[in-house]
Amino acid sequence: MKQSKDPFEAAFEEQEDSPPESPADASADARQNPNSSIAAHSSQSQPQDQLQLPHDDNAKKGPSQFTPGSGSGSANASASGSFTATAGAGTGMKSKEEEEEEEEENMDVELGKFPSSGDPDKMAKMQAILSQFTEEQMSRYESFRRAGFQKSNMKRLLASITGTQKISVPMTIVVSGIAKMFVGEVVETARIVMQERKESGPIRPCHLREAYRRLKLEGKIFKRPMSRLFR
Amino acid sequence: MTSSGGGSSSKPRSASFQPSETSLKRKRGVFQKLQHMMYGFGDDPNPLPESVALTEDIVVEYVTELVHKAQDIGSQRGKLSVEDFLYLIRKDLPKLNRCTELLSMNEELKQARKVFESDEEKLRKVFEVDETVE
Repeated sequence: MKQSKDPFEAAFEEQEDSPPESPADASADARQNPNSSIAAHSSQSQPQDQLQLPHDDNAKKGPSQFTPGSGSGSANASASGSFTATAGAGTGMKSKEEEEEEEEENMDVELGKFPSSGDPDKMAKMQAILSQFTEEQMSRYESFRRAGFQKSNMKRLLASITGTQKISVPMTIVVSGIAKMFVGEVVETARIVMQERKESGPIRPCHLREAYRRLKLEGKIFKRPMSRLFR
Repeated sequence: MTSSGGGSSSKPRSASFQPSETSLKRKRGVFQKLQHMMYGFGDDPNPLPESVALTEDIVVEYVTELVHKAQDIGSQRGKLSVEDFLYLIRKDLPKLNRCTELLSMNEELKQARKVFESDEEKLRKVFEVDETVE
């Protein structure tokens, strides 16, 4: 069963086949998630990222690798200039694949156009921001986009937690995404803590613990209520 | 079950079923990428190993709690499903949006893959026809 490797290899081949699309995709860099804390959880990456993305970035970077794939599919060829599907709004989600019956959204599949995507505004903003990045910022941004949890590791972890239930691929994707954003929250909060304490340098475990404590107070961390007696 | 917990400092936790007897072999686990991830989110280019290990522990615990809660919710359905997770993070808008985005991406990828495969099939058939003709 072709899982994560083949479609992305296929996507890479497709990308090479249709070079005119990739620069457009690469430059149309932005997919801005307006609610995300950092400026972009946009899923398009720089050209060098597209070519060098290792396959094991699938879990999280599915989107950025997908760009070439969609860019060169026959029906998609026209669209890709503004290939951004913001929050799944305009994209098609057939509600039936392997385990996809649960998907509540039931939009039409539009392989070509992504209506509410593109947001040329946001894309332009994103490009403007990106063009002014310093070296360090650019490399940090690149790490941010490319880093992700490995699907296999996540699968194993989930299986061990749930007691060897079968873990579907979308589930690993979702959990990896959630986990990555959680890491982001913790690290950012730790940085804030460091600022308050006027310290600098690498983040230390004490900052992380303080950050974790604060997140707990905010209620972002799921804690099972210890005593179910007095609910 | 081999543990995916990293570092020599991981201890077996009650909430997660990860024996750490293979901690030396499985030094990495989610380790390697985590460093890059922390750098991307604002840490030093070389985060402290103990920070990375602690973050990993935090993440593992978070995921464990998440899954347990999802199991509680989804136990009625008998199977753990993606919807359970989506329900759990419904309050957290950035995460929710990100997840829906990822899921739709996945769908599109599948579609594209299908198209590609069907194209491949057609090509193959064309070649076979040519060969028989020659």
